[in-house]
Amino acid sequence: MIIKGIAMKRTGLLLLMTLLVPATIARADDFDRLSRESSRISTISADFVQKKIMKILSKPLISEGKFYYAAPDSIRWEYQKPLRSVVLSDKGKTKRYIASGGKMIEDKTGGAQAMKIVLDEVAGWMKGKFTGNPSFTAVLREGANTQIILTPVGKNMAGMIEKIEITVSRKDASVKSVRIVESATAETRIDFLHVAINQHIPPSVFQDVP
Amino acid sequence: MKKRALLLIGALLLASCASLPDIRPVADEKTTCPSPFPAQKIRFIHTIEAVMAGKTKASMIGVTLADPVSRTISCAVMSPEGMVLFDALRGPSGLSVNRALPPFDAADFARNMMDDIELIFFEPRGALARKGVLAKGEAVCRRHEDPGGWIDVWEDHDGRVHIRRYSEGGRLQRSVTLTGGPANAYAAIDLQASEWIGYSLSMTLIESETVQNETQMKE
Repeated sequence: MIIKGIAMKRTGLLLLMTLLVPATIARADDFDRLSRESSRISTISADFVQKKIMKILSKPLISEGKFYYAAPDSIRWEYQKPLRSVVLSDKGKTKRYIASGGKMIEDKTGGAQAMKIVLDEVAGWMKGKFTGNPSFTAVLREGANTQIILTPVGKNMAGMIEKIEITVSRKDASVKSVRIVESATAETRIDFLHVAINQHIPPSVFQDVP
Repeated sequence: MKKRALLLIGALLLASCASLPDIRPVADEKTTCPSPFPAQKIRFIHTIEAVMAGKTKASMIGVTLADPVSRTISCAVMSPEGMVLFDALRGPSGLSVNRALPPFDAADFARNMMDDIELIFFEPRGALARKGVLAKGEAVCRRHEDPGGWIDVWEDHDGRVHIRRYSEGGRLQRSVTLTGGPANAYAAIDLQASEWIGYSLSMTLIESETVQNETQMKE
């Protein structure tokens, strides 16, 4: 079950990173080109809105946050609403912070260690290793938008993830959304806004949780 | 020998029952029992902060769909990132766990969690055993649960509702305080579990809505 949990977190992060790749890359015909183009990225920052859909909810549960990446392996993945949490990965160290009594405290339960495995792999993706995850098969589909569909290989994620869809606009070359389908009645959709590529991000973003 | 054993058991029961708070009878028999509990089907979404041994162990998002008429509860617990860690339903036909990732897959976790949720959101169904006031004058009702145990519900002078569950012998097992006040009792909830390994939960309301014509779900 722990392995399943880690695999799910890994999937989510890989998805996030894929989503933030510039649209010119996402429109490429094959993943080799996608990989080459990805290696040009030095930084990414974006806002995101996440909609969690479950049968127990009458309407999606909305979460909002910020995402930052700086090559080669610095990541900040921050949920701001409704419950704040921050994962920082920098210079080989990963920490997770959770809200407690109005403050942010470090999560010492081992969750950060699991996240380190995840984020190390994400950093590999950012260096152009897009097809290095044997847990998924990836397919590019062209239409009104470009879609990248990731499908789990084997039964490790049975009951956890059915597929992941990443949608990239062909019109304005921007990444629009990602959809993680967990079952017929449960999915997570993340819409990215204000994506900025290769703009300066202060190092403290990856080190501090104010 | 049997007499001795019975006397001993009786004495122990008597001693342990002494830990139940004293309830003084009131002259006005029409005094109503505090009842913050939902009267109709309702959905709550709370943030949850779990503390063990005085340290915060987890922050989560909890969704509870409670139907007091059928006494059916659906609940889901998510990480802040939206990962569903626990998803279960309990109703007249029993408990059904749809998902339980570690550490939510521990033995008896689901049953204990559903017991806690019922204690918070459902009016106790045991027979009214005592009605009166506590030492500081708060109106209180005590019910005897079947199977054994006692549940006290009272409202303090600040409008906070307190729910206490005791074992049959009077040992305190759970303390729940609804600190939201009369306007929205479930705006903030504190639960203290007095077990061998105790824990506490602090819940803060994100949103709630009454539910009509919605089937209790089972993923």
